[in-house]
Amino acid sequence: MARWIGVLVFFAIAAMAGATKTLRLACWEGAEALKSVQDAAAEFERAHPGVRVKIEAVPFGNYHEKLLAQYAAGVAPDVSLMNPENFQRYSQRGVIYSLNSFMERDSEFHLKDYYEPIVKAHSVGGQLYVLPRDIAPIGLIYINKKAFAEAGLSLPDGSWTWDFQPRPELREKCFTWVMQQLTQRAPDGKTTRYGFTPAWPGAFIDLLVYSQGARYADSVENPTKARFDDPRIIQAYAFFQDLSLKQKVIPSPSALSTELMVSPIDLFLQGKVAMAQSGIWEVPNIRKRHPTTSKDWFDWDIVLAPAFRDGTRAMPTGGSGYCIFKSTPYPEDAWKLVKWMAGAPAMQKLAAAGLAQPAIRALAVKPPWIPDASTPREEQFPKNRIITDTAVPSVVFEPTSSAWPEVKAYATQAIDQVLLGTLPAEKGMKDAQKRAQDRLDVILKQEDLKPFPWAMAGLLGLVVLIGVGAWVFAPERGRKLTAREKAEARAAFGFLTPWLFGLIALTLGPMVFSFMMSFSDWDIIQPARWRGAQNYQEAFSGDPRFWVSLKVTAIYTAVAVPLGLLVSLALALLLNVKVKGMPLYRTFFYIPALASGVASALIWRGVFKADGGLLNTIIYGSDGRGDFLGLASALAPLGQAGDPINWLGNEKTALASLILMSLWGAGGGMVVLLAGLQGIPQHYYEASTIDGAGIWGRFRHVTIPMLGPALMFSLITGLIGSFQVFTNAFIMTAGGPGESTMFYMLHLYNNAFVGLRMGYASALAWILFILILGLTVAQLRLNRMVYYEGDLR
Amino acid sequence: MKGARALPMHGVLTLGSAIFLVPFYVMLVMSLKSPEEIAKTNMLSWPQAITWDNYREVLTNPGVVFSLLLKNTVLISALSMVGTLISSVMVAYAFARLKFPGRDRLFLILLSTMMLPGIVTMIPTYVLFAKLHWVNTFLPLVVPAFLGSAYNIFLLRQFFLGLPRELDEAALLDGASHWAILSRVIVPLSGPALTTVGVFTFIGAWRDFMGPLLYLNDPERQTLEVGLRLYKTMNEEQWHLLMAASVMVTLPLIVLFLVGQKAFVRGIVMTGGK
Repeated sequence: MARWIGVLVFFAIAAMAGATKTLRLACWEGAEALKSVQDAAAEFERAHPGVRVKIEAVPFGNYHEKLLAQYAAGVAPDVSLMNPENFQRYSQRGVIYSLNSFMERDSEFHLKDYYEPIVKAHSVGGQLYVLPRDIAPIGLIYINKKAFAEAGLSLPDGSWTWDFQPRPELREKCFTWVMQQLTQRAPDGKTTRYGFTPAWPGAFIDLLVYSQGARYADSVENPTKARFDDPRIIQAYAFFQDLSLKQKVIPSPSALSTELMVSPIDLFLQGKVAMAQSGIWEVPNIRKRHPTTSKDWFDWDIVLAPAFRDGTRAMPTGGSGYCIFKSTPYPEDAWKLVKWMAGAPAMQKLAAAGLAQPAIRALAVKPPWIPDASTPREEQFPKNRIITDTAVPSVVFEPTSSAWPEVKAYATQAIDQVLLGTLPAEKGMKDAQKRAQDRLDVILKQEDLKPFPWAMAGLLGLVVLIGVGAWVFAPERGRKLTAREKAEARAAFGFLTPWLFGLIALTLGPMVFSFMMSFSDWDIIQPARWRGAQNYQEAFSGDPRFWVSLKVTAIYTAVAVPLGLLVSLALALLLNVKVKGMPLYRTFFYIPALASGVASALIWRGVFKADGGLLNTIIYGSDGRGDFLGLASALAPLGQAGDPINWLGNEKTALASLILMSLWGAGGGMVVLLAGLQGIPQHYYEASTIDGAGIWGRFRHVTIPMLGPALMFSLITGLIGSFQVFTNAFIMTAGGPGESTMFYMLHLYNNAFVGLRMGYASALAWILFILILGLTVAQLRLNRMVYYEGDLR
Repeated sequence: MKGARALPMHGVLTLGSAIFLVPFYVMLVMSLKSPEEIAKTNMLSWPQAITWDNYREVLTNPGVVFSLLLKNTVLISALSMVGTLISSVMVAYAFARLKFPGRDRLFLILLSTMMLPGIVTMIPTYVLFAKLHWVNTFLPLVVPAFLGSAYNIFLLRQFFLGLPRELDEAALLDGASHWAILSRVIVPLSGPALTTVGVFTFIGAWRDFMGPLLYLNDPERQTLEVGLRLYKTMNEEQWHLLMAASVMVTLPLIVLFLVGQKAFVRGIVMTGGK
């Protein structure tokens, strides 16, 4: 506490002194890269006395929520890390500086030092908004040299090509042929070693698409037409389906998922896959997980990804850089910081740690990025690092328009099904195209809207508040209170003060504000515009996903809440018994409710994984042919022929899996019911026993009625909570597969922070509110039948 | 339950515990494995070579200073717990025991504050706190606790309703004020409920992610949960460190829960004619 006050005092003095300027730099770096970034910032401070730099690290998954909220509140950072995917959200709305004027006035600065593709990717209409810091071509093939030797193949040199059919006459120059040669199968046909895997399906498919010269949209900066039904794209997906589902040369999506614990690179390290496609960022992890000292170490390297048969080489890529917010009080100093952090000083640090390929070409072709003789042995791998530079001219960026993430998300629903094999490629991609184009059209439709009438809305809000107040106090206005009643009422309001104060000061304001916003079109950054009841109209008649998500949430609630309550009750009863060590047992049952979201999501994915996951190991045995309790046969109709069920990847089972997961948190509900059980006075049980009641009789006539209030609590809060379920679907399934886990809250969240349609999201929120309110009132009416021991009625 | 009768009960409890403990077991086991072993072995297997390196690395990471985050988290959680207990007990008592105009409808309003998804009130609330210059301080995370929490008020109100009124009435006849009834009659009987609220609130504040994410900028002021997420980045997932950090973040809560159960005893036993 004292330390905190000390820090505060320090800042106060520093502020008063006025000499030091502080620049806030926000970034999403992980714990490891953070060290390098902080070191670079410290160097900057030393080189620029009078300027302090504060690095604010924000986890990547929630980065933009925080940035948007900060901007809305006027407390945005001065400089922020940014990437091609996201920068247009801000640049389009005039929130970040175009760096052109800074560059023109700065004679020491040379933009041509930077790789052109990443510069272009961060520009719109010739204006550069983000100074690139790193580029990450995703066209590196990690090869297991031992596997090549075993198959009698010479090592590739990057001059290979791919084609839809293998060309054996080209031998090692044909990637398709090599993939097949490297695949090893058991006598029964099951693949024991895959020839190839991309780090995620999209990485390889993008390569197939781009190197044929096809693109997903008609423009990178400002697409108006999606192109998912381009015949070349369809053929690429069909090819992928064939390789992963029929030939089993690539692991199927049920064995592969981007955020799975055993990542595809782990499969590579385990020798289960001979070649893997990814970016250079895998290397630090490979060094940790596969050191040269490891007993099953094999020699490995990276090779440039194959070109298409006509020689066109193209690949997807990542990259990031820094931008400057217009709200900064020190633009010139911010520019100096950006030049530093997206320039040689910081780039060298990240390169030395092997974490990011510099966006300045000169730095990417020599040490520390490229190993030389003086580099320690562990860091010598991969030897062929120079291809990270060779790859750059072939990189292709996805559309950077702010509409694209949303459009892609809509297409992904259909695409996921193509990848899983539940839809043929042509049909699936045509479906994806329709969804994507429809959404894009909606987003592009520039609605001519008037500015939000704040004065009138504010007045209306006030009227609503007064109305609510009247509703609360109206029924008893006429009645005259006795002196005693008046005294009691006074005492009551005294006790209510903290809550009432909080309600008026903190809670009602934002609630009313969000109600007003539900009638607006608001993207958080720009001023709101009036939309009247159109948001509500759109929800009910113009948004099919509204109904889908409502259905998913309703099903989830209808099953998970009663089930959860039953489990909690059972646990509470079980844990109420007088047995030695009970506190320890209770803790054991409660622990899952404590586990952190990120860690537990990972663990659950491991449980539900199709290939070798815990659940499937129990049901199908470790060889995949068991049949525990007949469950395998019972579940067969739900899955695909012969394969173990992919719990989270199968439309029919994904929701059930999430429900199963939620039961593990029953420990939370258990505690409440346990408290209720503990509060039942003993004498009721004694009296009941004297009256001759057995165990069941006591349960029915004492326990259940006395638990009434606690049960009602659990039911109501359970309902309120389950309608707002979000986190697990967000982390684990993103609403998929198909829309089978598209919870209402997820749809709301996507509208708010991905689509930047906070107005529409507010309308969705208020619709949910009315729904939950209605259900709760119904429950409370039911409540009248529940016996309250000390009730006032 | 003693002796032979206790045995089957222990059996059931042990089996149930094992099932529920699987996620935590995996977390623990992964935190003790080297990255190599995690990549190459089954999630459930006991480590071939237990390594404490992961813990060491997390505790000494200069980018994410664990001890500082711990201090901040303890402070915020403790203050939130105290604030919630005080305010929620007061408000719950009014709703449960006192009669006043508008009581039932105000209660409905209390419930309804839980029904609006936080996403849409997040930004106006943030703007509100920014205008108060409370951003980058602990205030937005702690002060609301002192103004009552709907969930806990609801919980305590339900519990208070279940307490017999005889003692209240006896105290009233003796001329006690409502405050005295609350502090001398209700609270002592509410051990289990108060412990529940206290423990829940502490745990909730400890594990709170969105609050500290939004309101705390300085790395020195961040909390454990946010720091934890920095081990899961855009391109790399350092599972071994993430798990070690998760275990360390969760362990104090487990201890708290275990210890809190001492206060979780039955209220004063009521016999018939008291």
